[in-house]
Amino acid sequence: MANSRNQFAIAVDIGGTFTDVVIADRDKNFFFVTKTNSTPLNPADGFFNAVDSALKLCNASPEDVNIVFHGSTVATNAILESKGAKTALLTTKGFRHVLDIGRAEIPREANLYGWVKPKRPVQPRDVFEVDERVRSDGSVARLINKNHLEKIVKKIADGKYEAVAISLLHSYLNADHEKQIYNLLAERFTNLEISISSDVLPVFREYERSMATVMNAMVQPLVGKYIRQLEDGLAEKRIKAPLFIMKSNGGVFSPQEAARSGAHMALSGPAAGTNGAANLGHLCKIEDIITIDIGGTSADISLIRGGKAEIANGTKINDLPLSLAVTDIHTIGAGGGSIARISDNGAIMVGPKSAGADPGPVAYGKGGVYPTVTDANLVLGRLPEKLLDGALRLDSKAASFAIKKYIADPLGTTVEAAAIGILAIVNETMNNALKLMTVERGLDPKNYTLIAFGGAGPVHGGQLMRLLRTEKLLIPRYPGILCATGLLSTDLRYDFAITRVQRAGQYNKKEISETFNSLSDIAKAKLKRDKIDPAQCHLKRGADVRYAGQGTELSISFSDGAITSVSIERAVAEFHRTHKKLYNFSDETTPVEFVNFRITAIGAMNHIPQPKLPQSAGVDISATDYRQVVFDMNGPQRTPVWRREDLLNGHQIIGPAIIDQLDTTSIIYAGQRAKVDEWGNILISEVMT
Amino acid sequence: MKTSPDDANQKFTVELIKGALNASRREMEALITRTSMSPFIREKKDFFTAILNPQGELVVSTSLTLAGNLIDSILESYPLHTMKNGDLYWYNDPYFTSGAVSHLPDMVFVMPIFSKARVIAFVECWGHLWDIGGRVPGSISPNAKSVYEEGIMIPPVRVIQAGVRNEEVFRIFTRNSRFPEMLEGDLNSLMAACQLGKKRVEDCLTVYGENNLELALERTISQTEAALKSQIDQLIPDGEWAFRDRIDSDAVSDRSYYVDAILRHKRGELTIDFTQTDKQAVGPINFIMDESVPKFMLGLYLTHGMDGVIMNAGFTRALGAIKTSPGTLLAPNSPAPLGLRSHTMFRVNSALFGCLAQAMDGAASAASSVYVLYYLRGKRQNGGEDLCIEGLSVGYGARNFADGLDAVYYVAQENYPVEFAEMEFGLEIEQFSVHCDSGGAGRYRGGCGIVRDVRVLLNEMTLGIRIDNCRYPAFGTNGGMSGMPGGVIINPGTTEERRIKPLSDGTVVKKGDLIRIITPGGGGWGSPLDRPQQDVLDDVLDGYVSIKQAKNQYGVVLSDDGLAIDLYETRKLRASRPRAPEMFHRGEYYNAEDDRTPQNQ
Repeated sequence: MANSRNQFAIAVDIGGTFTDVVIADRDKNFFFVTKTNSTPLNPADGFFNAVDSALKLCNASPEDVNIVFHGSTVATNAILESKGAKTALLTTKGFRHVLDIGRAEIPREANLYGWVKPKRPVQPRDVFEVDERVRSDGSVARLINKNHLEKIVKKIADGKYEAVAISLLHSYLNADHEKQIYNLLAERFTNLEISISSDVLPVFREYERSMATVMNAMVQPLVGKYIRQLEDGLAEKRIKAPLFIMKSNGGVFSPQEAARSGAHMALSGPAAGTNGAANLGHLCKIEDIITIDIGGTSADISLIRGGKAEIANGTKINDLPLSLAVTDIHTIGAGGGSIARISDNGAIMVGPKSAGADPGPVAYGKGGVYPTVTDANLVLGRLPEKLLDGALRLDSKAASFAIKKYIADPLGTTVEAAAIGILAIVNETMNNALKLMTVERGLDPKNYTLIAFGGAGPVHGGQLMRLLRTEKLLIPRYPGILCATGLLSTDLRYDFAITRVQRAGQYNKKEISETFNSLSDIAKAKLKRDKIDPAQCHLKRGADVRYAGQGTELSISFSDGAITSVSIERAVAEFHRTHKKLYNFSDETTPVEFVNFRITAIGAMNHIPQPKLPQSAGVDISATDYRQVVFDMNGPQRTPVWRREDLLNGHQIIGPAIIDQLDTTSIIYAGQRAKVDEWGNILISEVMT
Repeated sequence: MKTSPDDANQKFTVELIKGALNASRREMEALITRTSMSPFIREKKDFFTAILNPQGELVVSTSLTLAGNLIDSILESYPLHTMKNGDLYWYNDPYFTSGAVSHLPDMVFVMPIFSKARVIAFVECWGHLWDIGGRVPGSISPNAKSVYEEGIMIPPVRVIQAGVRNEEVFRIFTRNSRFPEMLEGDLNSLMAACQLGKKRVEDCLTVYGENNLELALERTISQTEAALKSQIDQLIPDGEWAFRDRIDSDAVSDRSYYVDAILRHKRGELTIDFTQTDKQAVGPINFIMDESVPKFMLGLYLTHGMDGVIMNAGFTRALGAIKTSPGTLLAPNSPAPLGLRSHTMFRVNSALFGCLAQAMDGAASAASSVYVLYYLRGKRQNGGEDLCIEGLSVGYGARNFADGLDAVYYVAQENYPVEFAEMEFGLEIEQFSVHCDSGGAGRYRGGCGIVRDVRVLLNEMTLGIRIDNCRYPAFGTNGGMSGMPGGVIINPGTTEERRIKPLSDGTVVKKGDLIRIITPGGGGWGSPLDRPQQDVLDDVLDGYVSIKQAKNQYGVVLSDDGLAIDLYETRKLRASRPRAPEMFHRGEYYNAEDDRTPQNQ
């Protein structure tokens, strides 16, 4: 098969249990996908197992690979499990407790009597106060006390730190002090990873900036080592193709950049999923999409508007802020492994407790005791008894027993009724989260297409579209590996921001112009290092703007070209409009302040499209099998089953129907019609409404 | 008892409706956050949403212990049968509504939801409005001596009648604000939230039917009731326990005030008697306390570790009568001012926990300090006004399962970043750190307050400040020690050093002055001698406890550099220390009964 050179793209997405691999050839229109086991103890092993199996799949030699994409949870896990490197934080004198105090809040949904403040990634004992001070206008109030700094240097040496974060007050305006300390430490220590806040996030708000810098520093040694392993391993395998790593913001970056900015990989995996959905939307000419990726323990929800994934200027991980550009993903504790139980006071609950991948649902026979959503789907016949081509057999009897014991018997009902009830509850939970996501943005879900993916997405999608009343549901050709296929349609992307407050009536054109120029220079330099053709580089300006006195800003776009009174006025008008759209009011009489300036730099890459399916002879295709499926209280119904790989472009199936494939099952409910499109997606709509 | 399959199906349906009601409420909150105008609501998130049954009982709501009897006062003027679909009622009058709302800036909105011609539920929200008139901008002043100084009062009024807004009422109200546009924006947002909530409940009605909806409203409450009742059965024996806690002053005088609680439990009937509470104050610490306030405090506390318990009227039903007497701090006569009622609300909470501790062998939280606010007002060089209002965090009481929360303000409210404050106001913050040793010592340490050093950069500014828990720091429980008080020092460590009253207004400060604001800590829980030595060392390493107090209070002897535990000396010292002689501690160990005798007033 591999008779010409340099043709393969490989995408590897490593998850908690499985690693998804895609190997694609743009010219020959093929696309192989497979799953290998993840190797959490040494993730690089899993990466190379995946690459090997991809090459084997199409009998390719290493020289034939011309690009490699990778989504990784190395940084995510280090942050989530606080397993980063031993890190020190250097802060301004008087602010040793900057992380501990935070913003002093107790979360709105918390019970204040039971809530416990989450532990910070760096403890105050590892925070050192530097005797220095920069004022809020950027001027220096106190130079660095060098003697005092020497004492800190000694403590860092004695403390056996692997990483240091430097975050001084107002460094977004004047980074001199941070840079001086950086240079000193870099000179004294050869094995120390150093992150400075004016580099990681030069934006005001000392708690959030310090937290981002600390998170970046603490994942750095791990990510750096991992990246070196990948590069060395690829070289050893004679794969000379460039490697690109998925970032939280929906773009990719080079391994060199990843090794400096590991915190940008926090949402590497889920961002690729949203990206994959956006790409499908692009292929199918659907611009407004709600995505739901339903896995074992959780469901990730995101929005695509006008063909673009929504990007937020920050997220929270374990109640701690990470204020870097991220794909706006809302995660809820509902998935296939969510456990159903009856609480002491008689409430029936499904999730957020989960059996996860280990022990997993009762049906997996790996020690799970309590019934899960997957068990409920299985006993109703909605899932087959064999998954992954028979590699995983599901124990329907055990699932049924667990539902009977823990749910059906206590309620005095049948296993079937209990299983239907469990699914109704978990669907409602997901529907509520989907609705909330749209209400928060003032959108109507009716105008959106739902894309359901992940192992359990196609099982629940048909019900969710009904609850949410969207017109269409799209189930991708490979729902279980959309994160991996999403990697094939990424661009290089860097987001930069810096705080330069501009008060109303005192807008400084020169400063705004210089700010955009310097951010652009940094962006261009990065893209150049990533060897992107300048013709393929696109820079977009943006600004975070607020009404004077407000405590939060709104991100708007800012026009290209020279900064003039007109272009500033245009931005102000854009702010009023955006404010009105989002908050239902604007106030042209209140002074408007520019707070942060932003540059988004995109290095456009060649997207590798999914191959097209051949046209079917007609709309009908006969089922390959039948199985008894329970859809409602009327009991089992003999339901036709198709194999996904048999479906061609143009085929139509009327529900109720089941479509099985390697790693998931799609359910078409009664009253719904499924059509297969040229890309192999299944588009579902209601026949009668 | 065997239930039938139909009952089982209904149980699932109830769960679906319950989930939908909760989600509807969160959608209301999302809408308020998105569309409200003032920073108080949008950023500080000072608002509340709820869905109630036709009897006015809360079914689902925000987890704040500040809900009153929201419907009855409306029914006095507008009986149920006169209500129409599309009506919206509003009020902010604490006296007229017997504490359905507890100070004037919180404006309440209520809409009835109909099934055919019958009211089947209510949807409600309130938000803290930015300015509704009164003697000062923002309407609340520590110096107020009458509720008439705190803004305009609206008794329950039908502001929208069958979908048509009463523009006259609206105009009269907004005319009273210094910031009418902002007020109008917030009012629109809160009313829109009610309408969204109403629509969502109506959707439930369409999908699930009237019977199922009514059943869900009832079961959601009764599940909570059952949860709390079972906790009471398991945790609280029959008996009677009393406790008194104190507020430093009422701002306009130096006199302290007390909240007195007697908790009685007899075979499942739990009642609380607050009638021996101090008489009402001249200053604004009066708190018109609805019975739901202490009930929700107890309910949330006793069920905090349980799965699937929703805060609602189940708490009210599970507990018996709450008694207060007119003319006291908790049932003041009009027109006593109410602006700083949180000082008293926090003491209601700690007095209840004091009773609980006695009832439950000490298994109740120690006292928390009440959050702190300061106001700096000055003139900029260009003549503009400079007004800085900052909320500051304090230490909360230790629990019998965890340390108290360090440096927190209150549920769902965020403080300003230092960099924001310096950019916006004429000041520089030179220190923002944990107030070392302020958390009461204990097996579980009380939360620590903070220290904030504020340098004045404008020529002249006036300082107003509200810190409580200085004369009467947050007490410790079950052998735990009290938290340390806070205070305010101008120019500490210089010849110009002076202390000012922690609850005061009008102090003049000049350019270059340093204001050190120190906030109080929470009480500790359990004997400090039982705190694991490693935890004490960790606290020393992280600046929460000094080497000195590690030894004096915890009996843990550390090396001179504070990096290691001297195991031998520690064992010797801890063995030589007597155990706590009494349940409570404030400066010294004391007995709750002695503390209530007249000579201790």
